[in-house]
Amino acid sequence: MDKRLRNALKGLTDPDVERRRRAMEPFVRATFGIFSKYLYRYLGNEVECEDVLEDVYADIWESPERLRNITSETQLLRTVYLYYMRKRLREVYRRINRNLYLSQSNLKELIAPEIGTLEMVSQSELEQNLRQALSKLKARERRAIELWMEGASNRAIANELKTTVGAVKMLEYRTILKLRKMLRYYYHEN
Amino acid sequence: MQEEETMSESNRGIHELLVDYAGALRDGCIPAFLKSLTREEAERIASSWEFWDATEISRILNSVGFADKAVAPNVSLFISRVDAEIASRLKKSKASPPGKRRTHTRVTKTDDKTEKSI
Repeated sequence: MDKRLRNALKGLTDPDVERRRRAMEPFVRATFGIFSKYLYRYLGNEVECEDVLEDVYADIWESPERLRNITSETQLLRTVYLYYMRKRLREVYRRINRNLYLSQSNLKELIAPEIGTLEMVSQSELEQNLRQALSKLKARERRAIELWMEGASNRAIANELKTTVGAVKMLEYRTILKLRKMLRYYYHEN
Repeated sequence: MQEEETMSESNRGIHELLVDYAGALRDGCIPAFLKSLTREEAERIASSWEFWDATEISRILNSVGFADKAVAPNVSLFISRVDAEIASRLKKSKASPPGKRRTHTRVTKTDDKTEKSI
């Protein structure tokens, strides 16, 4: 863990609420980028990310006990996700919980899931391994995922690949399953 | 618009549901995806381990492809929002009667509510 983050964490566990409040600024500065990038993968919406994080930081200020004895950035991210972000993520969707056909447990799992094998890998490592996995795909599969990651619609991908939207959806589905297999294999091997 | 039209179709197969979920996540419109689910589709999702397994990859693709958008250009402004939220909680806790004053009152309550509601 870098020095800036270590120092920021120290002030958070002060029993005095005002001192803890002052300690929030360096903590937010040191962690905002990491937390918001992590949260984005569950929300896909930067405005929602900021709203959720505002509550997450206030929860941390109010109840920082879980952050005692944190020794690494990964441990910090894991702890913050499990004990602070998850409950706030669930709250985001609580208001639309009525009239949905998805059961409550399925909704909870879809919105704020348990941490998967791949989800605690650092962003840079994930990017590197995903790039490697993409390079092993067939050209058509790779192109479909690359276009998708550029923000193209399924219709645009179908036009580019000269096929139908239905075929693109099937191609994307199979490629996602293939990527999952490749990445899991890589992490189990290492 | 096109994505919305696709989402409202009934009887989507599991591959279409996953791709629609991934698209909704990418476009930041998960509520629209959730509302588009029919009873049959919700049951299909519940019983498909492939769907649940693949959602992790969808989140990772979303994170690798788009997470840079999430970093606010003005962290100072965000810090003042956090401070205002803390000040509001501090005020509430000071305003509550001494017998009921507890440091973690709100967090515990919210936690319980959240667990029950989802």
